[in-house]
Amino acid sequence: MLQTLQISGTAALAPTLVLGVTALLLLLIDSIDPEESSSALLSGVATLGSLVALAAAGAILVATGGEPQSLFQGQLVVDGMSLFFTFIFTSVTTLVTLASYDYLKEFRYKAEFYTLVMLAATGMTLMASSNSMATAFVSLELASLPSYALVAFLKNNRGSVEAGLKYFLIGALSSAVFVYGISLVYGVTGSLQFDAIASELGNTGEGLVGVLGVGILMIIGGFAFKTASVPFHWWAPEAYEGAPAPVSAFLSSASKAAGFVIAFRVFTVAFPQSTVGVDWVLAFQVLALVTMTLGNFAAATQENVKRMMAYSSIGHAGYVLIALGALTGSANQAFVLGAGMIHLVVYGFMNTGAFLFIALAEYWGVGRTFEDYNGLAKQAPVACVAMTVFLFSLAGLPIGGGFLSKFFLIAAAVEAATIGTYVLAFALVINSALSLFYYSRVVKAMWIEDPVGDFEVGGYPTGLYAAIIVAAVATFLLLPALGLFTNVAVDAAASMIQ
Amino acid sequence: MVPIEYYMVLSAAVFCIGVFGILTRRNALMFLMSVELMLNAANINLVAFSFQNGNLTGQVFSLFTMALAAAEVAVGIGIILVLYRNFDDVDVTKATTMRW
Repeated sequence: MLQTLQISGTAALAPTLVLGVTALLLLLIDSIDPEESSSALLSGVATLGSLVALAAAGAILVATGGEPQSLFQGQLVVDGMSLFFTFIFTSVTTLVTLASYDYLKEFRYKAEFYTLVMLAATGMTLMASSNSMATAFVSLELASLPSYALVAFLKNNRGSVEAGLKYFLIGALSSAVFVYGISLVYGVTGSLQFDAIASELGNTGEGLVGVLGVGILMIIGGFAFKTASVPFHWWAPEAYEGAPAPVSAFLSSASKAAGFVIAFRVFTVAFPQSTVGVDWVLAFQVLALVTMTLGNFAAATQENVKRMMAYSSIGHAGYVLIALGALTGSANQAFVLGAGMIHLVVYGFMNTGAFLFIALAEYWGVGRTFEDYNGLAKQAPVACVAMTVFLFSLAGLPIGGGFLSKFFLIAAAVEAATIGTYVLAFALVINSALSLFYYSRVVKAMWIEDPVGDFEVGGYPTGLYAAIIVAAVATFLLLPALGLFTNVAVDAAASMIQ
Repeated sequence: MVPIEYYMVLSAAVFCIGVFGILTRRNALMFLMSVELMLNAANINLVAFSFQNGNLTGQVFSLFTMALAAAEVAVGIGIILVLYRNFDDVDVTKATTMRW
């Protein structure tokens, strides 16, 4: 057993290891003098740790060229797909830890906050590398459990506690459903490893297809929770609204991407459409359609900016689900998956940025509704320009990468050329048009409306501003530079599908 | 040897009792117990299928499930404790400061 663990193999897990070690390091630093822990030191160590992990992921991708490396007898695999998503997770973590420096100034238990963020990020990077149901489940829980605690982090704030409770209850329920689904799939195939499941599926008897179908539906349920899609999306508006805004940013960007990477891998490697005999593509088409429509219509009716962003995040989960719903036999499968990955990268920056702007507004004590944002641009023009870039990019206007990534999704759906995917492409266009309505309400409030009272912003916090500006620049630059990512994403998807 | 179908019926029954508990109970602790029932239903399946398939993968995985269930309860009890401190109750329907 032990001699199979080669040094070169475990080195491929460097990003995960760095994140995990950083989490422990933060606790160590805090234990030296818990009362006097320096906020700058903790935030700096966390940010540095995630930057190192980001660099490590990039270095491994360049060194191996995305060649799959199987670890621990095939339980984990490090390939282009997992490294690509590790890039997303570590970028979001960096932005969030940087912004939390100002946001957390008044709170105790700072070290615990950063530790939980780092542990959740460790779980997410492991999810991206999981190659068996066992590691998928364990890493999914490693990403989820710290998130529950993070949402309920403001112990004396009723909203935060309520959000944490609802997130936890629905999370516990969906993970139980997920495990039950795994047990049924194991019963049919006798294996937990993805490629072994796929090879056993060919020998499945006629009578067992029903059991397998129920198992696959339950596994979809587990992923729906993690990606905040229908039918397990109810926690999202509550959790994102009640949680501290940096945590909302972290969950809605990184945690969603983590749910998608494991779904991509399970459904292309373990249950390939050609052998499985269960039409999961249809299930994802329905889910994508319902999720994006519900998310956008609910967002259009909100009065609270943070809750509006939460529903918009459900809508975006629906857009990315197109990447699974368009995996029909006639589709260019690598391009379809690649389009979903690209949208998640862009979304990682623009959505994190938008939630961090809300964090900035909370830091200033601005209220939560659209009217409270009235005239904010007069006092903080730089942050408001950044927010405008995020919102218009989320809506799909050509001011940020969101325009191109939505365009790729539409192209992928149209290219698949079945009735279902045409409907999805059409629904994406309609929903994006609707989303422009509610995103521009925020922009209108910031730039055009006059402020209600004589409100003064209380200072310009460095960490929050730095994170917002980095996210805005990245969102903007992703418009011309997206071609770079597209090749990497499509290559990674192609090598995983084989 | 007990046929595999019997185990599946048993685990499906336990799973359904768990779902029923989640849908009807308002006490957060009862909710946790119901989730525990659902997880154990999966464990019954895993162990039975493991015996049926003649490999140990399922049995080992059921140990993982138990450990994670314990970890989940630890976090859950913590959240329920702050729920009690803020709302003076463990009724999950009382916590409604945000509208659904």
